Amino acid sequence: MNPRPLAVWVAAVLLLSLGSEDPILRVLTLGAALAVLLVHRRVGTRVRPALWAVAIAALLTVVFNFLLSHTGRTVLLNLPGWVPAFGGPLTLEGAAYGLDLALGLAACILAGISLSLVVEPHRLVDSLPAGLSRTGAALGAAITLVPRLGRSFVAVRETQQMRGWRPRGMRSWTAVVVPSVLTTIEGSVLLAEAMEARAFGSGPRTSLRPSKFRIRDVVITATSLAAMAGFLLALVLAQVPSWQPYPSLILPQLTWWPMLCCLALFAPALVP
Amino acid sequence: MADALLPGALRASPGALSELALFQDFCYRYPETKVPALDQISFPLERGLTILGGPSGSGKTTLLRSLNGLVPHFHGGQVRGRAWILGHDLRTTSTRRLSREVAMVFQEPESQFVMATVRREVAFGPENLGLPAAEIGDRVEDALRAMGILNLADRWIATLSGGQRQRVALAASLAMRPRILVLDEPTSQLDDSGADSLRRECQALAGRGLAVVVAEHRPWRVDSTGSQRLELSHGSLLAEAPAKSGPGTLPRGTARPVGSPAWQLRDLSVGHQQAVATGIDLECRQGEVLCLTGINGSGKTTLLRTVAGLLPPLSGSVNRRPGRRAYLPQEAGSVLHQASLVEEVSQTIRWLRLECRPGPVLEELQLTDVASFDPRDLSTGQRQRAALAAVLVGSPEMVFLDEPTRGADQTSRVLLLRILERLATEGAAILVATSDSQFARQLGDRVLELDSGHLREPGERAA
Repeated sequence: MNPRPLAVWVAAVLLLSLGSEDPILRVLTLGAALAVLLVHRRVGTRVRPALWAVAIAALLTVVFNFLLSHTGRTVLLNLPGWVPAFGGPLTLEGAAYGLDLALGLAACILAGISLSLVVEPHRLVDSLPAGLSRTGAALGAAITLVPRLGRSFVAVRETQQMRGWRPRGMRSWTAVVVPSVLTTIEGSVLLAEAMEARAFGSGPRTSLRPSKFRIRDVVITATSLAAMAGFLLALVLAQVPSWQPYPSLILPQLTWWPMLCCLALFAPALVP
Repeated sequence: MADALLPGALRASPGALSELALFQDFCYRYPETKVPALDQISFPLERGLTILGGPSGSGKTTLLRSLNGLVPHFHGGQVRGRAWILGHDLRTTSTRRLSREVAMVFQEPESQFVMATVRREVAFGPENLGLPAAEIGDRVEDALRAMGILNLADRWIATLSGGQRQRVALAASLAMRPRILVLDEPTSQLDDSGADSLRRECQALAGRGLAVVVAEHRPWRVDSTGSQRLELSHGSLLAEAPAKSGPGTLPRGTARPVGSPAWQLRDLSVGHQQAVATGIDLECRQGEVLCLTGINGSGKTTLLRTVAGLLPPLSGSVNRRPGRRAYLPQEAGSVLHQASLVEEVSQTIRWLRLECRPGPVLEELQLTDVASFDPRDLSTGQRQRAALAAVLVGSPEMVFLDEPTRGADQTSRVLLLRILERLATEGAAILVATSDSQFARQLGDRVLELDSGHLREPGERAA
């Protein structure tokens, strides 16, 4: 996939998932992000670690909102007041709002990750205007950090397991997570050094193969722009539903116009 | 050459002089360290091949980094004395400027990759030079051909073996067509044919008037007639470099009795989704040392990881008797994370609840002096030994080592040989995947070769 239309699509996903708190729209946006990632992921890339990371981030969002909001009429549980921060009523509304936030967060992260897992980093670099080529190369290198972190995590977990480490509760994972992050950071410094040593930033860059724009790219760009324009217009005309679970949980409304905009985001997953 | 005339003269007519660089009383200290990494270095860098020797931690990598300005411009630290590279004063010329004419391949090639595919990676340097697309394409083809990896041009780097990655890194530096080529342990993961290709290429480049500087623990793999030898020790250049020598021999232990099978492979196929080796039947007995060799990309690491239990077999079976397994990955960095080396070894002892202390294994690998150091501050060779100490502490029943001689000097290789002989004598079953054929011949009771997806056994070691 050409990175330029993908970047437009990512912008559309971000706008639609952040522009409304309606859970239906967020579910649709998340579905589109997931579909595009699964359909267009590059051969050889591992999506599962990314999905696990997103799932964990989403779960933490729900849990923390549930524990910290203390707002809403449907009280599920009362924690004693002496428990710092978490003490007080824990409500269904708090959990529902946490879930809504998690949906938006997951859609945004998945869309962002697709830049790394769908497009090759060098094509991102190539797709930028000549004036931004240095920024682009740095961006391309930064994007390789995501799979690098994944590889590092697997390598560290394996070696630590062979040295006798066993996962026993959340705290024990620091023996894997901290070294993985450290190794990745160390790798980033080495990469920066290597880029410097390979004349990066020494003058204007050229490219072996500039990116081409195909019909599929036109379709993706057009549908993404249409989705953004339609959604913005709906916002201006107050056609985008506002959903608030507080003080009492209410069901979200079905509003066809913004829903159609969200459905347009599935286009990249449908074009071959 | 008169000191005062040198920089200007080099800049005015660099082609007329045989020196491409000159160091005069050059000293360098890394930030937050007290001991200089380079001390009073003086030498002219001539055209042709220069081989830089010296034990691990002697300052070879630091000296190489100063040839393209990474020392001091990227790393910071303190500089005394003078150095001119291609007529440029090192203290005032940035790495970005120097890197247009000085190419470098790092000790850990996998850390220098920016792009996802081989072709694009090799093109990255020429792209930074702002060359036209057609010329970039020509350079990429030439460099890939020179390193014998034209067939890998469209492969994803993530799918390549360590040795193949090293070739890609070398091709990427060749594509820059530099005037000075700096190679840091370039054959550490190369098989013999890869090392031969590199030696031929270095010879050809040297013949064309380039300066090729190679830091190498096994200099005979890259050496050729007319090369210059420099030897570093504790940051200083020795007045006389040692005479050229071949691989020599490593000390061998006596023949050991072997016990019952520690692990057995039956009709095993290994790979990631696609099989890289099939129909493997093999067993390793307690006290036996097997060395696994093969060309880069033949599947040595995949087989080793499968036997160690880190990868599931595609088909067939792996039967291991119960007992502790010790595993050293190809990248030692994934083992070392504690604040000091002694803590790193103690961590293994704690996790495995071993009844031993870190001291003996550190002493055995001659690491006692650096036991309190952060492993990340050690040289690559020392780090490799540190990782070995962390995984081999105690008495593992099964040992799996992936390229354990990577970055190892002769002393480290001897120490490694000794510790493995000791473990085997204690009854450990040892499997070593290595592209270091000399080491494999010296160490292995049996040397096995992975060739075109099949395991061959050229012959047993004489008792």
